[in-house]
Amino acid sequence: MMETVGYFFMSWLDWQMLLLTALGTFAGIYIGAIPGLSVTMAVSILISFTFKWDVNHALALISGIYLGGVYGGSRSAILLNIPGAPAAIATGLDGYPMAKRGEAGQAIGLTTVISVYGGFVGILALAVAAPLVSDLALMFGPRDYLLLAIWGILLVGSLSGGSLAKGIFSGALGALIACVGLDPMTGENRLTFGSMQLSAGISYIAAMIGFFGVAEVIAQIHELHLKAVRQKVDKIIPSWGLVRKYLPLATRTSSIGVVVGALPGAGGDIAALMAYDHAKRTVKNPSRPFGEGAHEGLVAPESANNAAVGGAYVPMLTLGIPGDAVTAVIIGALYIHGLKPGPMLMAETPHLFWFIVGSLALANLFLLVFGLTGIKIFAKIVETPKPILLPLILVLSAVGAYAINNNPVDVYWMLGFGLLGYFLKMYGFQVGPVILGMILGPIMDRSYRQAMLSTGSDPGLFLSEFVTSPLSLILLLCVAFTLFSQTAWWQRLRGRQPS
Amino acid sequence: MHTSQRRLPGEITFMLLIVAFSCFMLWASYNISRFDALASAGAFPMLCAGTMLVTGLMSLRQSLLGKLQLENGETAFAQFVRKLAPLTLVLFTLLIVAYMLLLEVLGFILSSYLFLLLSMQVLGSRRLLVNLAASAVVLASIYIIFQTAFSVVLPPGSLIGPYLPEFLK
Repeated sequence: MMETVGYFFMSWLDWQMLLLTALGTFAGIYIGAIPGLSVTMAVSILISFTFKWDVNHALALISGIYLGGVYGGSRSAILLNIPGAPAAIATGLDGYPMAKRGEAGQAIGLTTVISVYGGFVGILALAVAAPLVSDLALMFGPRDYLLLAIWGILLVGSLSGGSLAKGIFSGALGALIACVGLDPMTGENRLTFGSMQLSAGISYIAAMIGFFGVAEVIAQIHELHLKAVRQKVDKIIPSWGLVRKYLPLATRTSSIGVVVGALPGAGGDIAALMAYDHAKRTVKNPSRPFGEGAHEGLVAPESANNAAVGGAYVPMLTLGIPGDAVTAVIIGALYIHGLKPGPMLMAETPHLFWFIVGSLALANLFLLVFGLTGIKIFAKIVETPKPILLPLILVLSAVGAYAINNNPVDVYWMLGFGLLGYFLKMYGFQVGPVILGMILGPIMDRSYRQAMLSTGSDPGLFLSEFVTSPLSLILLLCVAFTLFSQTAWWQRLRGRQPS
Repeated sequence: MHTSQRRLPGEITFMLLIVAFSCFMLWASYNISRFDALASAGAFPMLCAGTMLVTGLMSLRQSLLGKLQLENGETAFAQFVRKLAPLTLVLFTLLIVAYMLLLEVLGFILSSYLFLLLSMQVLGSRRLLVNLAASAVVLASIYIIFQTAFSVVLPPGSLIGPYLPEFLK
């Protein structure tokens, strides 16, 4: 018990880690807030720089950036009416009308306190649920991991609102890219076409930077004309009475955030929209009508998206299955540091788990401090013109890709993936599942082959075990339902029901 | 399945390209170990490429069902240029390509400075002095932070690297 407490407070007591967590949270708020920068992009680029660091230092910084970034998007949504991140889209619906009424300070103050509350609910859920899920995950066999990974990719492909076929294509493309290089089981060359460069495989960090950095920068060219409308800010710290009034709603929506965040494939953006919808349906007398500056319209999405952070860590740490694109990138960081997220992580390195929980809690406290201060300077910084911001991101991306192996080839891969990512995005494909596929591809490959070998390569037995094992059957039903829920038949059935 | 009502210019060409790519990758995956065993090295890549081919064909079908809406006698190519490849985007992308290629030749500092300066101009920041100063400040910050805090060795450049002062290498 004392050991656990010691690991939890490790980042609180070491000045370097304390500083890195504070720096990460501070930077995360700005990264999340500046339209055009995303947490996924920042963490992707950052991994290439921090892989030489001690793992705890890197994780302290990444925890801060993740939490700060999820919150930061709300600020630009309130102040500029441009959500800094998808998770803040719902926040802008009522936040910006509040700002137009001269209540920007109050909106930011309430958002900050409620985000911190939601963050703590998520972290508490992580601390309680992860050990339980981890114990359960020890019962998972290769077949179950295969199904879980497939389910994760399907969920990312379907929940983000795009076409399921395109989502699956993206996931399969990622998994195929991950196959390039030497087969880890037999040592055979796969899809290398005789190239020595390809034998070493394709760096998923270069791919991540390409898909989330370069592609995003190119896509942002279409939005160069967007102009920010800034509001005046005063009276930031909310009264206790105001916060207390919304705690019951925040508790409900934080719970939504935790559950949605923990689902493989669903992140803070979906959690925020679901929480906003929940608030709209359940709050009978909002402070103002929704969409016109209702406090409830801020409380619900902001508590949910920050709670989703803790939720997203649960499948990531216990099953090795990322909850969303950011956790997919963080899993990449853990692999780079020689760690293997999954049920054994909790058993073999419990200190790391409690260290992560402690770092997240510390970052959440820093969020409260940085969230309630420096807003006037903030308003100026987030207005950095895109003609200056976009080339800067490009240079950072190039440095990040080059830093992986000090090899220009990784820069070319990044550029190639960036251009591919741009066209994929434009034609309705999502790039999140590509990265998820790249991370989960090796797990799926290994799990499939282990499961097949365990049945003596008997396809009949292999398939029958999907229905004879209760755990596999549950996961198979989840996969089947996700596929079924995307069919026109199901959509028509739901369309007939009253919403 | 979700069916888009509108089709973007160039969408069918793109879908045909991804279908062709999927076919090629399926063939390449088959060549790894053919149908030797169900758990062979090529089995999973074949499953992935096969999935890509099926979903690629489904996406192509969705695109074929959509309608391309051309405005005021605009050609499909003109709409493609306007919606997906406007001049600013093409120029910026060409600058990125040139930057990546010149990174090893001119070195990080010179190529990045040129890239920052030119791309700021292309993207519409017309005040030359501001661009000159902003590029220099941004580059100096990146250089100092990454060389010192992250110990990243940035390319000195084959052309001018040998002539750079020691502290810039």
